[in-house]
Amino acid sequence: MGEATRLGARLRKAIQPLQQSEAQRSLTLSLAIGALVGLVIVAFILLTGRLAARMYPAGGSGWRRILVPVAGSLGTGYLLWRFFPFARGSGIPQTKFALFINDGRILFRTVFGKFFCCSASLASGIALGREGPAVQIGAGLASVIARNAGMSKEQVKALVPVGCSAALAAAFNTPIAAVLFSLEEIMGDLHAPVLGAAVLSSATSWMVLHLVLGDNPLFHVPAYRLVHPAEFAAYAVLGVAGGLGSVAFVKLLLHLRQMFKGFPRWSVWFQPVAGGLTVGLFGYFAPDVMGVGYNYVDKILNGDVVLKLAFLLAILKIIATAVAYSSGNAGGIFGPSLFIGATIGASVGGVAHRLFPDYTAGPGAYALVGMGTAFAGIVRVPLTSVIMIFEMTRDYTIIVPLMISNLIAFLISYKLQRAPIYEALAQQDGVHLPSAETRAQAGRMRVNQAMRPVAAGSPEAMELLTGPNGGVPPHVHPDHPLSLALERMGSSGRNALPVVSRADVRQLLGVVRLDDVLRAFGVNRPAEARESTGLS
Amino acid sequence: MKRRFSKSSFARTFSLTLAAIAVVASADVFLAKAERAANQQEAARFFANGQKLLRKGENAQAVEQFRSALSLDRDNPDDQLALGQALFAAGRLNDARAALETLLEENSFSGPGNLAMARVLVKQDAVNQATFYYHRAIYGEWKENAGSNPVSVRLELAGLLSRQISKAEDLKAQNLRESLLAELLPLEDEAPGDPATRKQLGWWFLAAGSPNRAATVFRMVLHELPGDAEAYAGMGQAEFAEGNYGVARADFQMAVRLRPGDWDSENRLKECERVLELNPRQVGLSAEQETARSRKLLEAVLDDLRQCIGPSPAAPAQDLIAQDLIETAERNLKRPATSAANIEIAERLWQMRKASCGAALTAAEEPLELVLAKLAQ
Repeated sequence: MGEATRLGARLRKAIQPLQQSEAQRSLTLSLAIGALVGLVIVAFILLTGRLAARMYPAGGSGWRRILVPVAGSLGTGYLLWRFFPFARGSGIPQTKFALFINDGRILFRTVFGKFFCCSASLASGIALGREGPAVQIGAGLASVIARNAGMSKEQVKALVPVGCSAALAAAFNTPIAAVLFSLEEIMGDLHAPVLGAAVLSSATSWMVLHLVLGDNPLFHVPAYRLVHPAEFAAYAVLGVAGGLGSVAFVKLLLHLRQMFKGFPRWSVWFQPVAGGLTVGLFGYFAPDVMGVGYNYVDKILNGDVVLKLAFLLAILKIIATAVAYSSGNAGGIFGPSLFIGATIGASVGGVAHRLFPDYTAGPGAYALVGMGTAFAGIVRVPLTSVIMIFEMTRDYTIIVPLMISNLIAFLISYKLQRAPIYEALAQQDGVHLPSAETRAQAGRMRVNQAMRPVAAGSPEAMELLTGPNGGVPPHVHPDHPLSLALERMGSSGRNALPVVSRADVRQLLGVVRLDDVLRAFGVNRPAEARESTGLS
Repeated sequence: MKRRFSKSSFARTFSLTLAAIAVVASADVFLAKAERAANQQEAARFFANGQKLLRKGENAQAVEQFRSALSLDRDNPDDQLALGQALFAAGRLNDARAALETLLEENSFSGPGNLAMARVLVKQDAVNQATFYYHRAIYGEWKENAGSNPVSVRLELAGLLSRQISKAEDLKAQNLRESLLAELLPLEDEAPGDPATRKQLGWWFLAAGSPNRAATVFRMVLHELPGDAEAYAGMGQAEFAEGNYGVARADFQMAVRLRPGDWDSENRLKECERVLELNPRQVGLSAEQETARSRKLLEAVLDDLRQCIGPSPAAPAQDLIAQDLIETAERNLKRPATSAANIEIAERLWQMRKASCGAALTAAEEPLELVLAKLAQ
């Protein structure tokens, strides 16, 4: 007992210098979160693998492929309904919900439920992915640790994406893409101030993954290259196919989910069986459609493709994943989107290679690019998808075709399905989360759009240019975002700010008023509120 | 309301997190070990199935099995090698090459890996590259039979080079002969001492242009197996190449006697006899016999030249010289001339024949070339 007390005292002394300021504490926690989340995600992957091996022993009967997913979806469906209602689905919209609406609060119970229910669900062969759940587990652990460590709400919110990065780095073995995904998709802001902490936790998690599992990339991909410049046309076709496939998948998933939501509430606990049964029936005839499917992806990336089978699997996976997800099974769409992309890519590549064998690479190269294409089309994070494929292959030569295909898929997907999938899923639940697109739109509104002219030398101009104690007054420039004008109005206690030249702050270009800013954002204030507007 | 930060709750949470890290790390290590063991077991099963299928000649199915084994046990070089070999057996040479490249990236010293790669390259007609990989296999690492495998590989390489010599043009053939000889010299000591291997070495020495070494090897074989027709045939060829036509004739006679119907030895015997019959300087001939043979040689050369250039020489510039030489030869044949004079005219006519008709010789012309070459020495 005495020994334990002494050890505790020593530990407290050792971490004393690490908790002097909130930034230090945050950094210390980022490291700890990175290590813990990395280890938990490794455990999640390994446990799922072990469970799957038990459920599908070598030489097992084909009927298992129907019975096990049905039993798995029934069991986990009940547990999710009864004990872990927030652990349903992917985990990414739930994480965003917690981050933007719930001050980063995710319960340990949800983390626990997500871990075990998803593990059981994926092991039983449900055609969903492990990355989304991993993100929620990582975010949840970060939230639990930050809250228990007594961090402020802002710091808890800042540490949630840190947990996401660590989780994705371990789940997908792509530390840079993990950071980008957290910023691009979870935060919706590539310039978020949590970048440093996210990088730190991602790197720590990745190191942990390598310590435990060794340096094994998720996919072993041969070095592919562009065979002929004319091959860009084939990659463009792949972009179109990937974009259309993505839209088909997203629309089907959203439609089915809306349909399942329309069923009576008491049926919620066994709705996942619909997914289990669909996967089981498909899996009976085409076992590769089951589970995450990375083994099959690895095969086709290595050029081991039967064209008709790849095309059939693309269709089956789109349906199986859409039904499994929309019926409420636990698991994500991150992994399936890569599978769908790889099979679409292999199909397009197979046809191209048959038609123009001297000008095109084998189907494996197209499968690789297809993965990024579908990811860009479904999740709509084009930058992450490019970096992710680059990290997976560690090969630069395929990047240019990948960028072209991604862009085309992204544009088609944007045109035909406005809301990105995670945003659309949240909207179905009545939650409106900020997306990168809406943020970018808000960020694009500038002061000059709301600015009014002021006559130089007029009393109003003189008043605007008078600062406290004769100094420079609070002001904005025409190219500043309108949000900054609002911020400065708030901090200075003024309802109007001078818009001055960047070359000379004494040169008045106009005035921006609170009413004009609000109007630019589409808000109409009542008359009495407007009356009080003026300099204060 | 802003939450107050408490140092003790931070320390407690941090300590708990560290404890959780330790616990989860232990669980991970345990799970990873279990996973690795299960994967290796499953991979071994796929590997064994693959080997069975490969032996049955069901190569495409074997490829599938080895791929599955490899997906479970990615760092296993045996699975990677077996995949490369199965792809090679299935005729998928590019895929086999890619699989073996992956293996050799991990371990460039792998003896079996380099050998498999060499075989793929031979099939792809990339003999120079294949030779490079054969050498890496010879000096590479072998888990099993580290003593005998490099020798087998060198024997395989020697076989390849000797086959290439027969297909190659002159200059390339000369390079290949030198390469073959470089492989054969260590094999003289290293190769197994069984007569079959020794005889093979003897033939390769002949192909490499080293008849004296070939003769030594065949002689050793004959010491062990005095009634071996093939060794006599080889011995005959070695002696023939050395210009010892009398000894060669005796060897070919033995070969034919021991193995009737050996057409090659019979033809070689005829060639020997023809050479001996034309050689005026053969030891033990009387002066008359020497003169008679020199006339016969001159006659044969003149006939050959006439057949080759036709009734009149083609090139006008050489017309007169040729005419003059032919007339001299005809005169010598009509009246008694010394053997030295006959031989000199025969040699000059033979040079002219080569200049006018090219260096290529028919089988019937070869004895003439051999005799005149020997006389020139």
